Amino acid sequence: MTAITASRFTLSGINRGLPGFARFWAYLGAIIGVSAYAMFGPDGYGEDGIFYFLTASAFSWIGIGAVAGLASGTALGMAKPSVTESKWSVNLVPFLDGALLMLLLTTVETFFEPSAANFNYLDQSNLLSGSIIMTMNVTLLASALLYITHLFAPASIVGRLATASAWVGIYAGGSALLLRWYESYMLDPAIGHAPVSNLYEVFILLFCITTIVYLTLERRYGARAMGAFVMPLVSAGVFFGIWLSAHGHAEIKPLVPALQSYWMKIHVPMNFIGYGSFAVACGAGMAYLVRERLEMRGAKASLLAVFPSLDQLDQLAYKAVAIGFPAFTLATILGAAWAAEAWGGYWSWDPKETWALIVWLVYGAYLHVRVSHGWKGHALAWWTVAGFLVTVFCFIGVNMYLSGLHSYGRL
Amino acid sequence: MNTQHWFKPYFDRLSSMSLAIALLTVLAMASAIGTVLKQNQELTDYLTQFGPLWYNVFISLGLFDMYHTPWFFGLLTFLMVSLCICLWRNVPTFLKEMRSRKVVITDKSLKGFHHLKHWKIKGIQADEASARVGKTLSEWEQKTGEEDGRIYIRGDKGRYHKWGYILVHGAILIILVGGWVGAQFGFRGTMTVVENSTDNTIRFLKGTRSDQLKMPFDVRCDNFFIDFYPTGMPKEFRSTLSILENGKVMVDHKDIIVNEPLFYKGVRIYQASFGDGGSEVSLRLYDPTSGKSRVIKTEVYKTWKDPDTGISLEITNFRPFNIENMAEAGEAKKFKDLGPAVEYIVRGPNLKAVKIKSFMNSFELDGQNRGQMIMVSMTGDDRDFQPFPLGLDVSKPTDWKLYTSFIEALNRRGGATDRDANFAAFKEAMTSVYGENRPEDFQQMGMRVLQAMSSLPNLPWPYIPVLEDYKQVYYTGLELTQDPGMNTVWVGSALLVIGLCIMFYVPHRKLWVVFKPVDQGVEITLGAMTNRNKLGFESEFNALLTRLDDSLAPQTNNRSAA
Ligand code: HEM
Repeated sequence: MTAITASRFTLSGINRGLPGFARFWAYLGAIIGVSAYAMFGPDGYGEDGIFYFLTASAFSWIGIGAVAGLASGTALGMAKPSVTESKWSVNLVPFLDGALLMLLLTTVETFFEPSAANFNYLDQSNLLSGSIIMTMNVTLLASALLYITHLFAPASIVGRLATASAWVGIYAGGSALLLRWYESYMLDPAIGHAPVSNLYEVFILLFCITTIVYLTLERRYGARAMGAFVMPLVSAGVFFGIWLSAHGHAEIKPLVPALQSYWMKIHVPMNFIGYGSFAVACGAGMAYLVRERLEMRGAKASLLAVFPSLDQLDQLAYKAVAIGFPAFTLATILGAAWAAEAWGGYWSWDPKETWALIVWLVYGAYLHVRVSHGWKGHALAWWTVAGFLVTVFCFIGVNMYLSGLHSYGRL
Repeated sequence: MNTQHWFKPYFDRLSSMSLAIALLTVLAMASAIGTVLKQNQELTDYLTQFGPLWYNVFISLGLFDMYHTPWFFGLLTFLMVSLCICLWRNVPTFLKEMRSRKVVITDKSLKGFHHLKHWKIKGIQADEASARVGKTLSEWEQKTGEEDGRIYIRGDKGRYHKWGYILVHGAILIILVGGWVGAQFGFRGTMTVVENSTDNTIRFLKGTRSDQLKMPFDVRCDNFFIDFYPTGMPKEFRSTLSILENGKVMVDHKDIIVNEPLFYKGVRIYQASFGDGGSEVSLRLYDPTSGKSRVIKTEVYKTWKDPDTGISLEITNFRPFNIENMAEAGEAKKFKDLGPAVEYIVRGPNLKAVKIKSFMNSFELDGQNRGQMIMVSMTGDDRDFQPFPLGLDVSKPTDWKLYTSFIEALNRRGGATDRDANFAAFKEAMTSVYGENRPEDFQQMGMRVLQAMSSLPNLPWPYIPVLEDYKQVYYTGLELTQDPGMNTVWVGSALLVIGLCIMFYVPHRKLWVVFKPVDQGVEITLGAMTNRNKLGFESEFNALLTRLDDSLAPQTNNRSAA
């Protein structure tokens, strides 16, 4: 066991035991409060969702839910201490904390938004989210460079800086997206919509999700060397995002009728959990191939020591696919459900759909190859890389080269 | 049953993992073909694109409608057969495996475990130790047994892991069956209904040919409405529909929009598209030399033919709004509605057929009237429209008068070309039209006339058709579907996701603890294994060891006794 150590976040105690458990229940209560308000609140849920939840009555429902959750969680945890170690709570609380922090950050950002006189639909250059996205670009690029440097200077602080930089990137990107949601309503309530409707927006979402999946694996298994492979992939995306923005694809645009559906908010992010995990699997696969090369060439032990072992990298790639495959399956099914509602059929052999199926089959084959004997880590590592290329084609290539019903993200 | 049947080898192969991998890969590659080769286009388009040789090769392989070819269907059937045999062979084994929980384990098999730990503890009896260990393993499903004086504990977590496999593979089978039922017994087609009329036939493509099917009811479109964003993008399409059976209204004035279909007797009716339903248009035909004009009336999708000149106008479309971005490149966007426009194709003897978009209103820019504008597409493709300013505001008789007087005045000067002569001719024309009281916007008018001088004489047509009046009707494009297999597909999908979650997130972890009494104490062996998530189990196992150490340590005993 080389690089994988059970390195634990020093504050991890607060995610366990009663503090973590009670908090978990408070979040659960708040989520139930929001949902109950959406379903049974005074006016019912409308498509102009975001402002809807900024009313005093919404806050009271959420607050009541949170307090009720906190109380029941505390009571339950005190009555039976063993439940406080429940996997659900321990694993999910950090993500829920992160989501709350993201919301708070976005709220703070809204105070710095220029006044309505400084922007309008036709000139969106003054919107604050643009600068925050730039911050994300810079921090993500920096983190890629730092992760690569870390390979050659594992003992120094560089590795921790790389991780920190990646975290900053996630919070910048995520809060910029939420802010963009808010801004879209500021421009015109008729235009407002969730920021997952065009290629530029989903790119940012993809960076954030890929980085989150990667950092989760990094934190759990201390596999920091993988960052030197995952973050450059994200950086390539960042450059593409900058290109998109320079060519006027970054504007907030109104939604065509086909996209005006709550399905969009579910289907699109779910898809990107799949894509992001496949990117991480590709990173692990590349790390595997590089380590293998280094071993064959008899590289320095100090360089090899940075990497997790081949077996561990193989497991990490599998881990990422194990996150991505069910998510992608669910996303495709949700897409089919949406298509059934919008186009009249759950499956039309539209190029995007078909490529989603191809991606699914490729990773399905990967899973079978793993189980069947005779195939070793080397071939599997290549498979993750090839699979990611297919994924990229499904994501961008289809929009560029093939036309079809999914042509909203056309370049 | 004799397992040495002749089909045994085939049977094995059909359910083998290598076949599964090969099938998945082949399906992936086959599916890709249909995305690269555009499906269900006109056959003549394919012929011109590929030439006769490849056209014939492709058509015999059914590649122009490949997702419905026998060979693609065969691939899917093959997958189904393989899945069935695979399930048939594995399910009984897996079920038995999940039920049987052998407690007694030999030392030899225990040695082979990846996670192994030994304790030798003095001053504690085997049954006491096993009780403590049993309590520590409270999260594990336990079974205990005794044999030859040894005590065994078997613990399981995620014992139902193999259900994941069964659900996933069964679900794929269910989805395929649902898809087949839908394709076999369902339908999906489009119906275009003009406002205030009814229709009952859907049209769809069968292969590359179109086919139609009569519905057991009539659909009436009572109204169609589009709402636009300020950018000219459509914001909402809304059709008000009624459904009639034998003239009896069954559904009265129900609105549908995109994403919110209407459901009637197993048939879903979707808002899919819209278009012109044959609007009535009046065109005024201006003679560009004399300014004289006459009015014709026709309809969209009809062709008007002039017997005198042999010129025909095929009206292809009408739009009441034409919102365009008027900004120069690099400028902030400026959206402007140019008003109603009609599109038509002009054909005639010695004329190249061109497509024209002609606006009803004269074109205004920066508050100035720039006269009428038409857009001309030489190829007939909408993307090739080029603006062609006519100059004159043709609806104004004075513009025509000025234009014709100017030409006459120039002709009197023998087609003079120098600046002064031009100017004098223009002044003369002004005087002949207005006398001495020139209107205030005469300079704008002059600009328009000069523009017209350079554009009108170049037109190849004997007259310019300009939209004068219209009465618009839309058609609504509906999609009607019935899919008896759809619910099966949803059930299969739900099972698929549940199965995957079990498969990936509920690994089957097993452990055995063997307590062997030795003099004055006990020798304990713990062996554990998992079938998934080996990385995560590492730390779970280590955490378990720490807790077992604690519970077996003598001081714990003291504390719990106190
Ligand atoms: C051609 C038919 C198929 C056969 C014969 C087959 C066979 C198998 C077998 C024997 C296993 C191993 C089960 C175990 O021991 O845990 C397996 C696992 C699996 N199969 Fe299939 N399968 C087929 C089709 C599919 C398809 C179409 C999919 C969907 C993509 C699929 C998804 C899976 C998954 C996700 C696993 C789990 C792999 C893992 O444990 O990591 N199978 N399959």
